[in-house]
Amino acid sequence: MSSDRAEVWQGTLALMILKTLDTMGAQHGYGLARRIEQTSGHSLAVNYGTIYPALLKLEQEGYIASSWGVSENNRRAKFYTLTGAGRKQLAREAREWERTAGIIARFFSPKASS
Amino acid sequence: MRTLRSWVLRLAGLFSPGRREDEIRQELESHLQLHIDDNVRAGMSPAEARREALLRLGGIESVKETQRDRSGVPLLQHLARDVRYAFRVLRRNPTFTAITVVTLALGIGANTSIFTLVNAVLLRPLPYSDPARLVMIWGTDPRTGGREMSVSYPDFEAWRDGTHSFEHVAAFTSRSVTLGGAELAELVPAVQTTSGFFRVLGMNALAGRLFADSDETSEAQPVAVLSDAAWKRQFGGRGDIIGTTITINQRPHVVIGIVPSEFHFIPTEVEQVYTLLPRETNREHGYLRVIARRRPNATMAAAQAELDVIATRTAAAFPRTHAGTGIALVSLEAAVGAPVRDGLLILLALVGAVLLIGCTNVANLLLARNASRQHELGLRISLGAGRARILQQLLTESLLLALAGGAAGLVMAPILTDALLAMLGSGVPLPRIEGVNIDRTVVLFTFGVSLAAGLVFGVVPAAVAAPSALQASARDASRTIAGTRAGQRTRATLVVVETAIALVLLAAGAMLTRSFLELRATAPGFVTGDVLAVGLRLPVSLAPGAQRETFFEELRRRIETLPGVRSAGFISSLPMAGGRDTLQFRLKDQPGAKPLSANFNIASPGYFKTLEIPIIAGREFSNADGASTNPVIVVNETAARRFWPGRAALGTEIAVSESTSTLKVIGVTGDVRQSDLGTAARPEIFLCALQPGPGWSTFALVVKARGEPMSLLPDVRASLRAVQRDVAISRVGMMEDVVAGRLAQPRAYTILLGAFAALALILAAVGLYGVISYSVTQRTREMGIRLALGSSPAALVRSILKTGTALTAAGIVIGLAGAYAVTQSIAKLLPGARGGDPLTLAGVAVLMLSVGSLASYLPARRAARVDPLAALRVE
Repeated sequence: MSSDRAEVWQGTLALMILKTLDTMGAQHGYGLARRIEQTSGHSLAVNYGTIYPALLKLEQEGYIASSWGVSENNRRAKFYTLTGAGRKQLAREAREWERTAGIIARFFSPKASS
Repeated sequence: MRTLRSWVLRLAGLFSPGRREDEIRQELESHLQLHIDDNVRAGMSPAEARREALLRLGGIESVKETQRDRSGVPLLQHLARDVRYAFRVLRRNPTFTAITVVTLALGIGANTSIFTLVNAVLLRPLPYSDPARLVMIWGTDPRTGGREMSVSYPDFEAWRDGTHSFEHVAAFTSRSVTLGGAELAELVPAVQTTSGFFRVLGMNALAGRLFADSDETSEAQPVAVLSDAAWKRQFGGRGDIIGTTITINQRPHVVIGIVPSEFHFIPTEVEQVYTLLPRETNREHGYLRVIARRRPNATMAAAQAELDVIATRTAAAFPRTHAGTGIALVSLEAAVGAPVRDGLLILLALVGAVLLIGCTNVANLLLARNASRQHELGLRISLGAGRARILQQLLTESLLLALAGGAAGLVMAPILTDALLAMLGSGVPLPRIEGVNIDRTVVLFTFGVSLAAGLVFGVVPAAVAAPSALQASARDASRTIAGTRAGQRTRATLVVVETAIALVLLAAGAMLTRSFLELRATAPGFVTGDVLAVGLRLPVSLAPGAQRETFFEELRRRIETLPGVRSAGFISSLPMAGGRDTLQFRLKDQPGAKPLSANFNIASPGYFKTLEIPIIAGREFSNADGASTNPVIVVNETAARRFWPGRAALGTEIAVSESTSTLKVIGVTGDVRQSDLGTAARPEIFLCALQPGPGWSTFALVVKARGEPMSLLPDVRASLRAVQRDVAISRVGMMEDVVAGRLAQPRAYTILLGAFAALALILAAVGLYGVISYSVTQRTREMGIRLALGSSPAALVRSILKTGTALTAAGIVIGLAGAYAVTQSIAKLLPGARGGDPLTLAGVAVLMLSVGSLASYLPARRAARVDPLAALRVE
């Protein structure tokens, strides 16, 4: 993966993590990876491992917090939760994303080309 | 903001690597466990479940690595690890490490020691308050090329009173004075100044007071300021010296103060005595140097503009003496370092070149060593190290080596500096030499040079090694032939480069050696053996007219009757002792012609005989030439040829400008190198010491001894005291030493450059030897095959020699161009040296080629002795 694409991917992944945590509440890395995979309809067939650097980055930036807990089937796991800053960041990113997506969409829509 | 926060966390992460590592491991384990559980629930066997989970995670180690990079600051962490690793690697190769560190220590130490001088002499601020505002003001004469000319007292007054850019302006000159009367008379270095001198410098008295304007008035009592050194040496540091009266040049002076002797205006001599200059009105007598302190708000340009106005005005007002002259402003800091700046900077450049050659050798060693580490580097790449990581690790090793070399060099530097100063000694009078020591600037310089050296010798080998290591990891078995070839090419280039640099240094060294040998072989025109020279300063009472002539005659008569004395004589300007006087004169038989100018010297009977200067025509002075007989002169050969071309000088007459009497040429002598060995004789005219003449007061007595000349000194002193008690004796020495002193500077430069050149030659030879030797080792198998196929050992040797010679020749060709330019610029610094001399360059090229051939012959011979069978079995 080239570095540009890696960055785009990291940014996208971070947004997906924030959104997932927002809808599902506290979740561990494996659960997040599984969830993102399902939501994206298996179109993002990537290594689960790539989620961990993204999690660490978000945690360092203060958007998420982590604590060790026990999973539904009694396994020790590190759970991540959204912080207040994370919630704000998600709202901001989502708005940004929608605007970008809207602009891109207008470029590719048949109306724009006429 | 967010970025800052994450960096703080990452930096904090540096300090608890164990905990973080643990956390990552646990999290990944838990991830796997959760995944395996899911898989088992989905119906997989435990083994299958685990395999699938691992696969989807994407390799635990690689995830951990990304995670680590993200959680700390990878560069720093890697650096710490690389340093530790580099230490281990370097310790494992003690020979390599030792050779490298010693090479670098020598190179960096030599650079540091030369830089210590540069720092002390050129860079460090002068020991005055706000020294940047101090300036020297010189007279200039563009028509004659005069750039830093002394000026007259009226000139100084015009500058002092006509400008607003300066707080204080002062003039000074330095003439030795006779200190003490009668028995204790001694000639000491001294400075004569105007009253503002110490105010310009911003110096304060250690005791007493400094000159005030009121001290300058004609009715004031003469006063003197002593340097700290003079106070201690001449007066034993007496506490009650202030206010006492001492005798300077036979006149009583009151000591008013003492100043520190940190700084002095006469190179190499600590001033002893400061007195005030008498005011003068003669505009033609230029003998003053002018120093001033700029006002804080006055720029150099503004001050120069003011001076330009004065220059124009003066030139218009006094066209006879000042037409076309100008005034130049230069900062004192630049003026102090100027005489030695070029020499020091060239030395610094050349010693830098030696270090560059050293670096090239180290680079070659590293290349060879990295090639043998291909396997290790390849393994590291297979394990996931990126190219940048490999580069970083190799560079860390280089920098570590360089810093070790730099540290050792810094330890060596003071020793080298002391040796350097001892050698430069009297030959190269360095201003401010007492301040030479290692300070923060020097340490920073050494650190910078070490880092630069580490990069210079580290980058190329690392850049070559990293990609070839990639290939090595891909094709381990092929023994990295491609990598070796790239390495070999780089090594060859490096050898060419260092040969070229070495050739430049060799050429410079050879040129200096050659001109030094020529200089030493130059006949000075006189015989120095067994001659004692004694400097005399005559008191004012011995004025020309009667007393001086009697003194010379009487003293010479006494000395010549001493046992052990062959002959004796007096001369006003001793050859090669510095100082000369130029006067204008006319030929009597060409009264209308333009005045001529020549060096004038006063010689007594016996002078030419004592120094064995040949008399070519006529005779030398005798006791019969006196006040009552016709004034006579002796001229040297150059003067005879120049002023009387195509006819005999003997018997003709001249008239010195202001005097009305005519002087008759009675003899022509051989030429003498008057100023130094490298400068051809100028036209010279000798006046007779037994006849009335100019009132010069410094003379030298020369005595030719039968045995050991120095043993005559007590008798000579006694004779002097018997004839005249208040004559001061200054320098006493052997005539041989006077001449040797003139050789000290060229000798110092020659030894220094010779050492650099020898070092460069050895390093270049070692470099070439290393490269050829390494390539022979690499090609052992090929050699074996060639020998097995019937190639003769001699043919092998020839082919290897050809490679080595080709490299050397390429280096020589490139180096010759540089050598030509560099020797030209060095030649400008030394009298008698010629730059770009084809013979010297050719000789140096041949020497380099021979050494290069020898350096490649040794490994070639080894190749020819290869046992074909053993060689083939190597693989």
